[in-house]
Amino acid sequence: MREFWQRFSRNRGALAGLVVLAAIAFAALAASWLFPGDPWQMKAKPMLAPDASFPMGTDMLGRDVAAGVFHGARVTLTIGLASTIWATVIGVLLGAVSGYAGGRVDEAIMRFTEFVQTIPSFILAILLVAILQPGISSTILAIAVVTWPPVARLARSEFLALRQREFVAAALTIGLPAWRVILIEILPNAASSIIVMASLMVATAILTESALSFLGLGDPNLISWGYMIGAARAVIRQAWWLSVFPGAAIFLTVLAINLVGEGLNDALNPHLRRQGRPR
Amino acid sequence: MQFRRSFLLTAIVGCTLPAGVMAADPQPTRGGTLNSILWPEPPGLVLGLWVNSPTLLPATKIYEGLLSYDFNLNPQPALARSWEVSADGLTYTFKLQPGVKWHDGKSFTADDVVFTFNEFLTQVHPRSRTVFQRTRASKIDDETVVFKLEKPFAPLIRSFDAIGGPIVPAHIYKGTDFRNNPHNAHPIGTGPFKFAEWQRGQYIHLVRNDDYWRKGMPYLDEIYYRLIPDSASRALALENGQALLATQNDVELADVGRLKAMPHLAVETKGWEWGAPISWMTFNQRRKPLDDKRFRKAVMYALDRNFIRDTIFFGLAKVATGPIHSSSPFYDANVPKYEYDPKKAEALLDEMGLKRDANGLRANIKLLGLPYGEVWNRFNEYVKQALKRVGIEVTIESTDVAGWGDRIRNWDFDLAVTYLTTLSDPVLGVARSYISSNIKKGMLFNNESGYSNPKVDELFAKSETTVDEAERKKIFSELQRILVDDVPVAWTVELQWPTIYNKRLHNVIINGLGPNSTFAEVYLTPK
Amino acid sequence: MGRLSRALIWIGKSLAVLVAIVVLNFCLIRLAPGDPATVLAGEAGASDPHVLAEIRQQYGLDRPLPEQLAIYLRAVVSLDLGFSYRNQRPVADMILERLPATLLLTGSAFLFALAIGIALGSAAARRVGRWVDSAISVAGLVFYAMPIFWIGLLFVLLFSVALGWLPPFGMRSMIPPEGAAARSLDVAAHLVLPALTLGLFYVAVYARLTRSSMLEVQHYDYIRTARAKGLPEGRIVRAHILRNALLPVITIAGIQAGQLVGGAIVVETVFAWPGIGRLAFDGLLQRDYNLLLGIFVICSVMVIFFNMLTDIALSIADPRIGAS
Repeated sequence: MREFWQRFSRNRGALAGLVVLAAIAFAALAASWLFPGDPWQMKAKPMLAPDASFPMGTDMLGRDVAAGVFHGARVTLTIGLASTIWATVIGVLLGAVSGYAGGRVDEAIMRFTEFVQTIPSFILAILLVAILQPGISSTILAIAVVTWPPVARLARSEFLALRQREFVAAALTIGLPAWRVILIEILPNAASSIIVMASLMVATAILTESALSFLGLGDPNLISWGYMIGAARAVIRQAWWLSVFPGAAIFLTVLAINLVGEGLNDALNPHLRRQGRPR
Repeated sequence: MQFRRSFLLTAIVGCTLPAGVMAADPQPTRGGTLNSILWPEPPGLVLGLWVNSPTLLPATKIYEGLLSYDFNLNPQPALARSWEVSADGLTYTFKLQPGVKWHDGKSFTADDVVFTFNEFLTQVHPRSRTVFQRTRASKIDDETVVFKLEKPFAPLIRSFDAIGGPIVPAHIYKGTDFRNNPHNAHPIGTGPFKFAEWQRGQYIHLVRNDDYWRKGMPYLDEIYYRLIPDSASRALALENGQALLATQNDVELADVGRLKAMPHLAVETKGWEWGAPISWMTFNQRRKPLDDKRFRKAVMYALDRNFIRDTIFFGLAKVATGPIHSSSPFYDANVPKYEYDPKKAEALLDEMGLKRDANGLRANIKLLGLPYGEVWNRFNEYVKQALKRVGIEVTIESTDVAGWGDRIRNWDFDLAVTYLTTLSDPVLGVARSYISSNIKKGMLFNNESGYSNPKVDELFAKSETTVDEAERKKIFSELQRILVDDVPVAWTVELQWPTIYNKRLHNVIINGLGPNSTFAEVYLTPK
Repeated sequence: MGRLSRALIWIGKSLAVLVAIVVLNFCLIRLAPGDPATVLAGEAGASDPHVLAEIRQQYGLDRPLPEQLAIYLRAVVSLDLGFSYRNQRPVADMILERLPATLLLTGSAFLFALAIGIALGSAAARRVGRWVDSAISVAGLVFYAMPIFWIGLLFVLLFSVALGWLPPFGMRSMIPPEGAAARSLDVAAHLVLPALTLGLFYVAVYARLTRSSMLEVQHYDYIRTARAKGLPEGRIVRAHILRNALLPVITIAGIQAGQLVGGAIVVETVFAWPGIGRLAFDGLLQRDYNLLLGIFVICSVMVIFFNMLTDIALSIADPRIGAS
């Protein structure tokens, strides 16, 4: 653990990312305390420019943009995490079976994975959300459905490699059932690279979610950053602050997650560290 | 006005010169090109076969009706120079303009009119076919046509505009398959502008009809309807002077104020008197607590409709006081008022026994939003907040156009947002939402709330067959008072679609058909 | 393996993928709540029983599912992507009409991203650890993290609203200027902002790829040999390193070229670019499912097509791949 932290903290960008991410997570948790009540509530005159009482201004109905940004952090992070967890579960499951079983099963699963990767993913996500009707669960499902293939490929290659290792062969010879070998012997060894990939996927998921909400496919009862920008597009020339602050929130979150992901990569997969980088 | 008085008597003789011309600038300039915005692309230009709003804008310059209507919906001469309605309301006689030519050079006669109403419109026109199925047109001579009815139908006199009753050439359509007639690609009318070219995705080009029956008109040389798919681009084209005219939903409401402030642009909200759109929320009265009049009144009191008008519709709306549009000759302002008063709303809810629970909530209802873009999303969000203030929790249901229609016609909603054109006569556009014979599951734009009041049914029936205008006025006043007190739906605002035009353009909105009038009088002053 | 058999295998594979996508489409329609006919008819279906009957007949919705699938497949193969009831036009016509605009936008964005990305990536790789490298890395991170629609809006605010340099929306002026050259210039001016917006994200991707790929290649034996022979550094980079380092870049770029169309939906929406992305957005607002499904099929075809181009490009860049 100490070694992990040492390696992680050697990456200054990752440290900065971690700090920003912590701040955003805090904003999400403290939203109801800092901005009590409903973020949809109309507080003041519409379209007030940022000032002391409304540091991010008010929107076209007189709602506090800052309250929206803070409460929106919850929705955005929840969707980012939940969809990544689902994608990882699907990907690891398929990848593990594929890499472990090999042969025809492997062939079939990989063909399927390849197929899903060929599909234009954003359009499929749009179709899924539109058809399932906009809502938080359809967004999570749609993102998970289009993002699992790289996880499956990674998991497969890890399993394929680990399967040949002696400790796996040993476990099998003493008669452990396959599912236990997969869960207890192989998975923990494959975990580090999967975690790195998953951490970066959260960032992509957040970008996808924001684009979906921007196009008007968000949950109408939940405030999210993409929704805020999409709703403000018509008045962008009159009120820049409606688009700029939520956009900056997305940007910072995604940037922070990417930095942390790289730090995790350095810390968990030292042998894969990108060469030539001065540290 | 000579006309209004004579309406009550037998003979109605219109003046030969339309009112718009007399009111116009004394010295209109000839020539010039009007670049107008049009979106979306219309499916076709033959009026009657198509009546979507993008079709209307160009097609009303090509085709004409027997009559036109001023801002108060009084009939004005168009292809008919004068007309008479018999005292029993069963015979309508129209004298036609002499010397009118179709765009292909053939003469326009009574035969065209008879064919149009007896064969063409009664078969193809989605809305007015039911109106003209009640009538039988026949030719007296080349310039005279008579319509006969079996039972009086008072709205008929307001049904002869170019949108509901466009006159089409018999020599092109008679005996053909109307929908697949090859001439549909090159429409032929009698209007001031002739169809020239349609570049799909780019523009529709109309040119001056040099043989137009109103001498000296039109003033413009040509009109280009430019197809611009994005509202921001449309606003930009108006700003930089490339486009001279935009209307209805062409520009986002949020942008209209900015454009209005520009020195070269003008904004006019008149011109939709004929369509008269009103927005409301339909209560599904088959469900509790929406069946209780007090609950519906509480909703009315809980909504600050001035806020809705000013903030959500950017001032481009008027607070609706009831079922009939304020521009209608039958409108009565003397009805119960629902000023914004949350306390009154709470008192009514208390009286019903809907007390606030531990979370401060009295009731939960769902709001089916109108899937027509951002303005309507803001509207839903406002209603949610406003009703929450009096203890009603609202869940917004977002849906697509098809889903919205499906849910409403199958009565699967609590509260549904909608807007409807109330048309030129309450019998045509208002009655459909309130009479109990129109409670029809599976159909759209009828009495979806399930409201039923025998008195209302009786009054609407009476208004249909009463020919005397003053008598009808009394009937509609009584109807408005009953309906506004019963609150079958929560009327919110009358929509005032803006027509935005370059100040070089004159006589743009001169009657109740607004941008959908012929534009014969429109002229352009040089830069 | 010969070229011909490779091509045959490739065609077979592509066809299989295409069929799978059509089947997926078929399933998606049935996933929607409600009667598929009502869904496909959109607004028109709400009031018109004739339209519903027409759709039922066209898709054979009263027949058993496998038969319906067969009908649907046959339709797609004959390039019949259905009818948009909302727009009263065949979907295929609408898409074909908009396709050139999308190809122009995505093509320009792709070439821009590839050129700048490779230039920046190799510049960074040659100056590893120095400020140029760090600056390029930071810029890459930044563009990689910005939501594409947000960059677009910021560009509009800056370059069009504040500075007034470039037109913010559309593909051509409402009244295009006379003459072919002036017209092209008009389109080019409109193209700058959307292509830049769509391209920047991929600039970041390609720059990173080029950088790491070049650093890897540098350590290969033949590069060391070349260095030992005393060849000038510039020539080593151009003739050996770059050429070999570009293979993975081309591979990834080829895969992403098809996916660019997905990003184009957002960019075309922001800039009102009249392509199929914008069409998809309009279809989305109107929930014109027939249109959306048609766009989905066409985009998938484009992805398959770009994958083929990538294969060809790779076998030209590296003959060994063709042989293996």
